[in-house]
Amino acid sequence: MYGLVALGYHVTWATSRTLNFSQGHVVMVGAVVAYAVHVAAGWPLVIALGVTVIASAAFGLVVERVAVRPFFRTGSPVWLLSTIALGIIVENVAMLTFGKDARAFPSTLALKPVFVLGAGVYPQELLLPVVGVALMGATQLFYHRTFYGRQLKAVAWDSEAAGLMGIDVPRAVAVAYALSAVLAGVAGVLLAPLLNVSPTMGTLIGLKAFAVAIIGGLGSAAGIVVAGFLYGLVEALVAGYVSTGAREIVGFAVVIAMLVVRPWGLGGARPARRV
Amino acid sequence: MSARAGWIAVAVAAAAVPLVTANTYYLYLAMTIGIFVVVAAGLNVLAGLTGQISLGHAGLYAIGAYTAALAATRLGLGFWTALPLAIAVTAVIGAAVALAALRLSGPYLAMVTIAFGIIVEGALVEWVALTGGPGGIFDIPKPAVGGAPLALGRYYWLVAAAAALALVLTRNLARSAWGRALVAVKSSELAAASLGLSAYRVRTAAFTVSAAFAGAGGALFAFLNGYLSPDSFTLQTSILFLLIVLFGGLGTLAGPLVGAAALVLLPEVVRQFVEYRLILYGSLLLLSVYFLPRGVVGALARPRAARPADSGTGVPSLTQDAGDSPPTAGQAGASSAVALALTGVTKAFGGVRAVAGVTLAVRGGTVHSLIGPNGAGKTTLVNLVSGFDVPDGGTIALFDEGIAGRGPAAIARRGVVRTFQTPQLFEELSVLDNVRVGAAGHRLGWLAAALAGFGGDSPATQARARAALDAVGLGDWAATSAADLPFGHRRRLEIARALAAGARVLLLDEPAAGLAPAEVEALDALLSRLRAGGLTVVLVEHHVELVMAISDRVTVLDEGRVIAEGPPAAVQRDPAVVAAYLGTSA
Repeated sequence: MYGLVALGYHVTWATSRTLNFSQGHVVMVGAVVAYAVHVAAGWPLVIALGVTVIASAAFGLVVERVAVRPFFRTGSPVWLLSTIALGIIVENVAMLTFGKDARAFPSTLALKPVFVLGAGVYPQELLLPVVGVALMGATQLFYHRTFYGRQLKAVAWDSEAAGLMGIDVPRAVAVAYALSAVLAGVAGVLLAPLLNVSPTMGTLIGLKAFAVAIIGGLGSAAGIVVAGFLYGLVEALVAGYVSTGAREIVGFAVVIAMLVVRPWGLGGARPARRV
Repeated sequence: MSARAGWIAVAVAAAAVPLVTANTYYLYLAMTIGIFVVVAAGLNVLAGLTGQISLGHAGLYAIGAYTAALAATRLGLGFWTALPLAIAVTAVIGAAVALAALRLSGPYLAMVTIAFGIIVEGALVEWVALTGGPGGIFDIPKPAVGGAPLALGRYYWLVAAAAALALVLTRNLARSAWGRALVAVKSSELAAASLGLSAYRVRTAAFTVSAAFAGAGGALFAFLNGYLSPDSFTLQTSILFLLIVLFGGLGTLAGPLVGAAALVLLPEVVRQFVEYRLILYGSLLLLSVYFLPRGVVGALARPRAARPADSGTGVPSLTQDAGDSPPTAGQAGASSAVALALTGVTKAFGGVRAVAGVTLAVRGGTVHSLIGPNGAGKTTLVNLVSGFDVPDGGTIALFDEGIAGRGPAAIARRGVVRTFQTPQLFEELSVLDNVRVGAAGHRLGWLAAALAGFGGDSPATQARARAALDAVGLGDWAATSAADLPFGHRRRLEIARALAAGARVLLLDEPAAGLAPAEVEALDALLSRLRAGGLTVVLVEHHVELVMAISDRVTVLDEGRVIAEGPPAAVQRDPAVVAAYLGTSA
């Protein structure tokens, strides 16, 4: 489930060498919007999903415009701070409109557990990886089969050359941000029934997804998918055998170890040094 | 109002606080500002001078605070032992984090520091036996002087003194050889390495200093509060620290003070809008980022007058003879011996054999040129000799000492200094300071001495920097910012910097590219003078006239192999060379 959010980091990183540090907040926005439309207003889930997709795409565009484009390729990782700033603001806005308290997101798929291999899981939890893999597949299709996707790939490969070939690079980056945000927003809708919906739910999810993206390699979609499953597995094991509190400690210790040993990630290639 | 008057006003105002008010809450706020100044001053060294961003300083702050609290409650140590202990422990842990993290940059470094912060926060909550868990530590005794506990008003003096000391120490550091090295590494890691300065080592030192400051701040906080809980040390706190530095002004002396005061007091002023606090922080962060790098302090300060070149003549020194023989470490006697010997050196990139078994001997005190068509492997060879790439096979010896496989900084310290096709200057430093970075090299002295204000260059170093600058004819430009230097002069500055760094063998990668004819002549004259002084020069160049005029020997490379070698005139007539250049099938 982190894989889906982490893939969003990959999409923008590959295109622009920048990423949205408040990706976790997009997850939160997705969950909150879905809650407002589906639970509070009582509209069908399909419509809620549609509204969420639109809302997160819009948020992605705003992030790109306000926090990334002004600093694009200035060389310094200033976008890192500006995206964090936007995340903080959005979290506060959500608190003011949604309220500070966590609310349950009812789902027919999270009412009674089914038993798989003796372990009780909610159907919703099974749905997550299925939808996740489907969306990742769709993203790959988009990249390889559509004109727009190929443009993004071209920009990812060499933005300067892509610009010379008549590709609108800033627009391609904007699309990448929108796509990245949609992935996170949908993840928010999927996660909402499992976690409670609250304005503060995003930070930790975002950080863990970032950890996954780093472990898998920011440049490698396949590495991220694998890392997402591994990370989830390790977390579940540590939470089950040690304690839930140790979960975060172990998870992030793994990330640091990974960065020391193999900074370019599981699936990434060692970057060549240019002189 | 001059800067000095401003500082005096701040000092008077700070000293007046406990005289004006005995209100505990106000004193507490003032001390919070002081503590944040200490932490932010340290973070400013890291973010302002080296350009590295840490999002985990709350973790270091926590370690300082908990070390002090545990020392006081469990070991019964007093304030004056607990404080240095906290600083030492935090510095050691900070150094360990730095060793792991600082090979990385950008989002990767952010990830490590965030992860570190979260691990520390997690440990504070989980390790109940040591930290008291979510409840924290209570009843930290008040610091005492002469057996009597300090009242809050007295403790204020201590915190204020610590804040002032923190600012003075960071100012000293910024002005020292260490400070210049930190900025140099931020500007161009490659150039720093080419001068023998390891970016990794310099940054690790900066992170350790920064950690020590955070530890001191944490310890002061523990004794101020009397109790600790994990809530004070979250990711939010790390972001707040960074915001203080950015808002105040990255790399400015007064930045941490202005930032800390603003960010502690502002939420108090608008307390009825407490719901909007995060929006306030977020907006301030966004604004600070837009106005980077100089923050509030930079915005208020008068724009610095651009320092013009001292010289009245428009383009001085182009043909001016610098007279004195330039400073080189390439002593007489080194000449005629083989300075640089390559044997069977190979390097492949993927399937491309960029250098395919090159054997080459460069004699001391000569100018030895490498020419060849594009893609012949000339620059790769320079990279291999200077350590920026590691050869796949073969040996490289500098005065009979094998250097292949060593890092660029280590090779530079042995006297092989290179320049770059695109000049890599330390743009933020003055022309003279660029050369001083080279002259100091890795000999930066004690970090503690730099903090204490004894970090200036030795007279010998200064003299060497001056002499190198005069040697290339840039003496009149010493005070100019490197970023404002005309293009032709940028190459000269790079050469001067290499000379100051004690080059015995100078590797020049296309120094004539983009120069005007008059400047090429000046370069020719400069190289002749350097050779006369005993320096060995390896010249990679396309400018055939220059090569033929200056070289003692010429080696021609094509497709990674040596196809001809000899005196310029002989090489010029060699049929293989003509074929390689004109494309005749040989």
